[in-house]
Amino acid sequence: METKTVTIRRKALAASEEQAVKLRERFAESGTLVLNLISSPGSGKTTLLESTVGRLADDYRLAVVEGDVATERDADRIRAMGVPAHQVLTSGACHLDARQIETALETTELLPAEILVIENVGNLICPTTYDLGEDFKVALLSVTEGDDKPIKYPAIFSRADVTVITKSDLLPYVPFDLETVKAHIATLNPSGVILVVSSISGEGIDDWCDLLVRRLEAKRRS
Amino acid sequence: MRGPGHGHGRIAAQGDPGYTKPMHEMGIAIEIYRTCREAVQEHGEGRLRHVKIAVGELSAVEPDLLSFGWEAVIADTDDEGAELEVEFRRADQRCPNCGESKDRSEGSWFRICPDCGAPLEVRGGDELDVLEVSFEAVENGAPEEQ
Repeated sequence: METKTVTIRRKALAASEEQAVKLRERFAESGTLVLNLISSPGSGKTTLLESTVGRLADDYRLAVVEGDVATERDADRIRAMGVPAHQVLTSGACHLDARQIETALETTELLPAEILVIENVGNLICPTTYDLGEDFKVALLSVTEGDDKPIKYPAIFSRADVTVITKSDLLPYVPFDLETVKAHIATLNPSGVILVVSSISGEGIDDWCDLLVRRLEAKRRS
Repeated sequence: MRGPGHGHGRIAAQGDPGYTKPMHEMGIAIEIYRTCREAVQEHGEGRLRHVKIAVGELSAVEPDLLSFGWEAVIADTDDEGAELEVEFRRADQRCPNCGESKDRSEGSWFRICPDCGAPLEVRGGDELDVLEVSFEAVENGAPEEQ
């Protein structure tokens, strides 16, 4: 029996990454700014999206892909606000993959959109590894999760261009040292942007929406 | 354990038969297996014997869990028993001020020079690559007799 050894040097996630490259080309063609929202479950991704839709939907064409293990709840919340949304159900898997985004685009009329937000499955670990063709990753961290999360789950905070600290209205009630968290994130990701928001009080929502609009305009110019 | 194509499998944690958790490395093991099968098909046909991969320290992949996932993925296939060799790669972290490579403490992701505090330039360490695939070559779909 002959044993053949072949050297291939190929990315293990090559199939998924090729799909991400195709998606990125497609989004460049349609002039769509694409965000990949990543956080723990319950940190306020969908609520931040609702605030964003409330602020931007009159002036910009938005679309949303929701990733969850089960239920259409999140997509229903976005659709109720008149924005097209596709729900990906992963039935157990802990992250979204570029091929699921491709299917979402084929199944639901999401494009053309000016801003497409992909809300990943709630999880600080697995979604970090998978490229969905996005322009940038956004990590959310709610103040109730505790201020040690960036150093305990460093991968996502070092790879997200933007970290949004949510539920800032609860800061007076929880032991969350905002300055320490900002310092940790700055250390993990020296060029990252940090925003502090509350969808309840409205703090920081303007800054967040301004950032999206600025990045959309920058993408159009490029 | 569910087979390839079903996304992530679920494993019971040691000492706790009721505990299940989705495992990130399972999906990656499935992708590695697909990549290996493609490579075999491009160079002939046959049973996988040995696969060498590179895993970087910043890839967010745990090599032991990946090996466990690999065994589950190839179980009950013709490739059952194929070895997965993991080459662990460290990131090179250079300080632009001191001009030297710096060692961070084990498991640390902080990109700050331990001596002068400047942000480190990080190269590599995010590898997740299939490097080499060995297989028993067969002709006409049947194993060759020695």
